[in-house]
Amino acid sequence: MGTYARRYRVLAGLLFIIGGSPVAAQVAEVAVERRLAEELGLAVGDTLRLGPAVEPLTTLGVVSAIYEPMPDPAEIAKRERHIRMHLPDLAELLGAPDRVDRYGVGLRPGASADTAARVLNRTAFGYRAYTSRAIASESSQTFLVVSRFHRAIAVITIVASAVFLLCIMLLKVEERRLDAAVMRFVGVRRRTIFGALLLEAALIAALGSVAGSGLAYLAGAATNAYYRRFFDTGLTFSLITPEIIAFSVGLSLGLGIVAGSVAAWRLVHTRPLVLWGRG
Amino acid sequence: MSGLGWAVRSLIRQRLRTALAVIGIAISAAMLLDMVMLSGGIEKSFAELLLAKGYQIRLTPKGTLPFDTEATLDRASSIVARLRRDTAIASAGAVLGTSLYGRSRDSLVTLVGYGIQPEAQGVYQVQRGQDLARHDTLGVLLSASAAGLLRAEVGGTVSLVGRLDPQVATAGVSRQLVVRGIVRWVYDYRGQPSVGTILPVMQALAAVGPDDRASLVLVKARSDAAAPALAERLREEFPRLEVYSVADLVRFFKQRLVYFRQLSYILATMSLVVTVLLITTLLTITVNERLGEIATLRAIGIGRSTVVRQVFIEGAVLTVLGAVLGIALGLGTARYLDSILTSFPGLPAAFSFFVPRRETLTAAALVLLVTGSLAGLYPAWLAARAPIAATLRSEAT
Amino acid sequence: MTPAGEPTVLSGRNLRKDYPMNGAAVHALRGVSLEVRSGEYVAIAGPSGSGKSTLLQLIGGIDVPSAGEVEILGTRLDTLSDRELTRLRLTRLGFIFQRFHLLPVLTARENVELPMAEAGIPVRERRARALELLAYVGLEHRAGHRATQLSGGEMQRVAIARALANRPVLLLADEPTGELDAATGGEILSLFRRLNQDGTTLVVVTHDERLAAEAGRVIHMLDGHILGAGE
Repeated sequence: MGTYARRYRVLAGLLFIIGGSPVAAQVAEVAVERRLAEELGLAVGDTLRLGPAVEPLTTLGVVSAIYEPMPDPAEIAKRERHIRMHLPDLAELLGAPDRVDRYGVGLRPGASADTAARVLNRTAFGYRAYTSRAIASESSQTFLVVSRFHRAIAVITIVASAVFLLCIMLLKVEERRLDAAVMRFVGVRRRTIFGALLLEAALIAALGSVAGSGLAYLAGAATNAYYRRFFDTGLTFSLITPEIIAFSVGLSLGLGIVAGSVAAWRLVHTRPLVLWGRG
Repeated sequence: MSGLGWAVRSLIRQRLRTALAVIGIAISAAMLLDMVMLSGGIEKSFAELLLAKGYQIRLTPKGTLPFDTEATLDRASSIVARLRRDTAIASAGAVLGTSLYGRSRDSLVTLVGYGIQPEAQGVYQVQRGQDLARHDTLGVLLSASAAGLLRAEVGGTVSLVGRLDPQVATAGVSRQLVVRGIVRWVYDYRGQPSVGTILPVMQALAAVGPDDRASLVLVKARSDAAAPALAERLREEFPRLEVYSVADLVRFFKQRLVYFRQLSYILATMSLVVTVLLITTLLTITVNERLGEIATLRAIGIGRSTVVRQVFIEGAVLTVLGAVLGIALGLGTARYLDSILTSFPGLPAAFSFFVPRRETLTAAALVLLVTGSLAGLYPAWLAARAPIAATLRSEAT
Repeated sequence: MTPAGEPTVLSGRNLRKDYPMNGAAVHALRGVSLEVRSGEYVAIAGPSGSGKSTLLQLIGGIDVPSAGEVEILGTRLDTLSDRELTRLRLTRLGFIFQRFHLLPVLTARENVELPMAEAGIPVRERRARALELLAYVGLEHRAGHRATQLSGGEMQRVAIARALANRPVLLLADEPTGELDAATGGEILSLFRRLNQDGTTLVVVTHDERLAAEAGRVIHMLDGHILGAGE
């Protein structure tokens, strides 16, 4: 197994270390994340004073790089800023040369991560081994909760839309009751009237679905533009996929047609004289 | 026959459409109520949580939020002593948060440890048994989860170990402690196995060694009104520390959850739009259907204002019915949505996103009523300008 | 017979009414003048499209003439605001329509009370008067029934009672028997006769020859003109 060591330690700017040479440097090389560099006006070559507490800041650091961190949804709402140092430099800075928070372990191709974790845990004392998948699953719990929340809101919205649709379709169809009555008087079959109303409902549903898809696309673009600027990140917040469009259009079309069917069925099964207002 | 009675009868005459409209408004009202609760509930709930034991101010290591990192304050006891000498301060106590282990049969279970000063603590409430005494080096408090994991009860003993050394497979520190009480840790998430001892004991057990360290210091001002000024003064006296009032922490928390606040505004707006659309459409179609009736009323001398008032009353009746049903529905859906959001990992169990309060319900109802009434404007205008003669002519054909 | 010496209740001078239809102008009235004295029973007869209903709407203040003027009890309608005109219709005129136009959700009594409620008459008083009027038209036993539960003739009688609610000086009726069968129409006929005998001034637009025959004066119309007034 190959290994590399990581150490995380939080200070007034959050220090974030990547592995490197085993020997501590006199003047520490520091990589600064872009946002921190912009806020402090740092450029490559500038020096920093670092320390494990507010004072004393005894260690000198030189900005050797400015980097753009990987967009992390879990981090965007926090106002934390990171720098990276070589492990020995940070360890010396913190006065704990032989201490880390966690190890990352890379397996040879073909080796089972679950098996490796089990083996490690059997002999572990004072630590636990987790597969990356398990950690990813654990750390994505937050987003699963958000997804569930979104889904719940979506369900409520769909129910409200269905009721709204049914109400509107009923109203629209009832507006035509005199026309329907006259048609029945002159002998037009129920099926024909029903079909005409259903076609109308389907057309309205189709138009609405297309309009809604366009609106969703615009809203999604606006959401991404806004939150990318708000959080200063490249993350995608709203993603509209063909599958989502297909599902939404199918659902809205289906709801519209069902609502139209119910309204039309009700109309054609009402006696013509009642429709005329004389029944 | 009052206008209200007339409106109710008109609505009852078209039962199905009225029922659907009321249900539609109710769902929108429920959504509106939930979003109003969400927009204000988050920070209120958090503020209440922070003030659960009356401590209005927190001191933490510079640049960190309470329990947000592993950073600690050194010389914690001298900070506390200095604060306790301050006449504006009623109480001050340090808290150390750490991780440690407990022996459960043959295995070690991971626990969250709190080192506390029982005479001035703001992080737990005793549910069974008793609190720790000030110098009780042999006592421990457990959360219900920890008690379950360690199979311990009040009066029993638990074995806590810290500073594990994987090289030699031993614990650097081990303590046998007597369970004094089962407590609810105010900031614990659901099921969190937490234990608490007096501060020196936990400092000994803590992984970073038995230094005089604490994660934060809680401060209680003599009055809530004096807390902001006290916080300001402490910032000047302790420039190397972060000093947070409850308002400061709520502000940070709001920032972290800004998405929910914005989402709540968007969804609340959409709910209102749906309500307006529904009422406006229903009333407009109703007015169009009853133009003949309206023209007749105008012809026999019923004034525009009476006709317009009737339209508004019908809209108001629909809105009120929808609002009443919606509030009941909203309280139910709020519980459901709250159960989803409070399952966020690491969120204190005592925290709620949707908190029903009288002012929230009143605000939502008022907004809905005003909006529903305004929704009647267009159909009322249609009714008011109904041309009498032309309508009667077309009715006759 | 025209009650000679009675004051003029209604006068219309040189009334014209044009309205657009499909891009062309329809001349519904082409300079019509008439006068109605208190206590008269005037029928306006003519084929469809002769302008009868249009004339009725103008003299009732429901519509505005393109030219000419209407006076009711000495007041020119074109000098009144919409609110004043509405008030006039409420307190001085009574309307009866071919299709009754009762409010379906209200009972017979409530329909009759409606104009009185609008006029600000207290509840007790208007309730009593409504029942009195329903008794006058022979429907006191149907006072609590909804309008939709009444027959055509009954609905029209309720409409007449409603029109009488605020003691109008002039009753205007547009084809009051148009939707009724002969027998029921005959009932309305009798009612109108009784109303006029009791002193109500009536102007009735009608196709019904029996109704026209009951009138003291018949005005014949054709193509927007009055052909002549026969007694």
